[in-house]
Amino acid sequence: MSSVTDFDAIVVGAGPAGAAAALELARAGRSVCLLERGPFPGSKNMYGGVVYGRILDTLIPAWWEEAPVQRWVTRRSTMIMTGDQAVTVDFRNEAWGAAPYNGATAYRPDFDAWLAAKATDAGAVLVCSTTATGLLREGGRVVGVRTDRPDGDLRASVVIACDGVNSFLAKEAGMYPHTDPSNFTVGVKETIGLPREVIDERFGVRGDHGVDIEIIGCTGDVPGGGFVYTNGESLAVGLVLSLPQLAAGDTRPEELLRRMKTHPAIAPLVEGGEVLEYSAHVIPEAGYEMMPELVGDGILVAGDAAAMCLAAGIWLEGVNFAIGSGAEAGRAAARAIGRGDTSSAGLADYRRRLESTFVLADHHRLRAAPHLVMSPLAQQQLPKLACGVLEDLFTVTNPEPKPGLRRIVRRRMKREGVSTREALKQGLRALRTFG
Amino acid sequence: MLVAACVKYVDLRPQVDRLTGHVTDGGTSGWSAADLAAVETALRLGETWSAPVAVVSAAPESADAALREFRAVGVDRVVRVELGLEAGVELESSDVANVLSDTLRSLDASVVCCGDYSADRGSGSVPAYLAHGLGAAQALGAVEVHTEGPGSLRLVRRLDGGRREQLVVDAPCVISVEGSVAELRRASLGATLAARDAPIDVVPVPGLHGHASPVTRPWSPPARVQPAPAGDAALQRVVELTGALVERTPPRTVELSADDAAELILDQLRAWGYLESSAQESSE
Repeated sequence: MSSVTDFDAIVVGAGPAGAAAALELARAGRSVCLLERGPFPGSKNMYGGVVYGRILDTLIPAWWEEAPVQRWVTRRSTMIMTGDQAVTVDFRNEAWGAAPYNGATAYRPDFDAWLAAKATDAGAVLVCSTTATGLLREGGRVVGVRTDRPDGDLRASVVIACDGVNSFLAKEAGMYPHTDPSNFTVGVKETIGLPREVIDERFGVRGDHGVDIEIIGCTGDVPGGGFVYTNGESLAVGLVLSLPQLAAGDTRPEELLRRMKTHPAIAPLVEGGEVLEYSAHVIPEAGYEMMPELVGDGILVAGDAAAMCLAAGIWLEGVNFAIGSGAEAGRAAARAIGRGDTSSAGLADYRRRLESTFVLADHHRLRAAPHLVMSPLAQQQLPKLACGVLEDLFTVTNPEPKPGLRRIVRRRMKREGVSTREALKQGLRALRTFG
Repeated sequence: MLVAACVKYVDLRPQVDRLTGHVTDGGTSGWSAADLAAVETALRLGETWSAPVAVVSAAPESADAALREFRAVGVDRVVRVELGLEAGVELESSDVANVLSDTLRSLDASVVCCGDYSADRGSGSVPAYLAHGLGAAQALGAVEVHTEGPGSLRLVRRLDGGRREQLVVDAPCVISVEGSVAELRRASLGATLAARDAPIDVVPVPGLHGHASPVTRPWSPPARVQPAPAGDAALQRVVELTGALVERTPPRTVELSADDAAELILDQLRAWGYLESSAQESSE
């Protein structure tokens, strides 16, 4: 291996994972180059979610005082819907609207640029508008990256691939043994502009408080889910759709999104809004089951590139896992550089550290959740069952006496073709998954 | 001989409050396509004539990182004119040109390339004021730039009706180019990294007094109640609604002197009711 390096480490991708990795490396006194293919960090991101910032406590104390946040989420709703019905479990917690907060909606171009600025302030070198097109190798070991700039080879002791879902670098390094389309979903999102006061009124919040609504049963025949998040003066409204089944069907994602927006439970929320943006992105839905090798000779993988996106029904998290994994990758790389051993053995404690944190612990514990959430029972039968039971429960049928709850449930289960045995089986499965 | 490019640091994606019309900095400032084309044009001219190339910009300190990118693509010298104005205060185009022309004169710039107009709803008048200030020839709004000889340029300009006009100008001159003229070359990775610490010459110009940015207020055209179109058939109603097939005054082309053309335009505006008639004006 050539001993000449341009930097101690190269981090590819200035999203949350890459910025956190570069921040930790720079703080450890290592020279680090943060490559970003967009003109600025966050310019390539498509996101309509909640940023859970607890992981930032260790990286940036009192981060909430400066982070570019749209609204602090104080209401979390889970909505189960059929064609014209909806059941909502709505939880409100005013404590989440004050420091140290819980989660926030944010515009990723703002948030990512802010986090990347922390890395550059610490000494990382940010190079934008530069795409890493491949790996430089010597004897099978990764020694740098090739970029799309003239004379664009860059050498370092460690490369940290934070280049997002469908990571070309991780694939080139042979860290993804195979790619299964069923492990991916497509997220489509509209950003819908509405005046702040209208959002406050419709969603029952005030000031900088916001709402997160996760929806199941809104995607027709395509397994998936939906969401509505409140920003300051816009809504993020979108769907997450199973990639193979979307491709196999005749319905386009924008049509499915249009249908959700006309649902009686959603239409009043988005009415009169102006669509400011439509975007789509692939999501690594299967989490733990699809994770690549995280450590290679001279290379680490973090964030979406390592499929560290938790899509576990009631928990939809990504940015916190990206930051957590990126920070650990940065620390592991810094330690390995300090020891002078950036082989896979020298970098191996990256995975061990991740296993001891929420990053892999949560993914491992909830590894069956994505499949459970995408199952026909959760997607088709559960929404009809829940809405049907509540319809029977709340419909007053005088002069007929009120039916008992057990009778209603049995009748609805029969109508939806759910046997007691199957219900118990799936209930136990859910308990094992989430318990 | 020195070839210079003048560029303006503008917010490429400003945020506009839809209620008040207030424009805020979207934090995405940079250079317009036309300004980047001007820099590339300057670089090409510099290569052809073996002349050094400088970029001059009246910009705040926050533009330094973006200015260094020009060093990465081969610009020899970058000069930032520090106006020292408070946020939200702007200079008239003529004042900007005065400041820039002082700097360009001190650099001994023979050819100055500008974008045809800035991305923040600019009037495109700075290049003309620059030419005036420098006592140089001007050729503005070029879609093609060719070299004829040392210090001599042949430019192609857009005219109405798809026609083109060719202009030959000799140094000293100021030209402005459309964004389509050239795409700024891509800097090598080594040059990009090296340019991070490249020096920027800062020329402070104290004592300037600008004017506050214009305050914009929301306005929407007043609604007019239109009677429903008459007609039994849908086609008839559509024709009436759209005004198609209705007798109208056909457009006409006239060739007049500037004074007569202006008078004709004023007469027409009076006829349409946009201006009061001469008789009314005189009676008041």
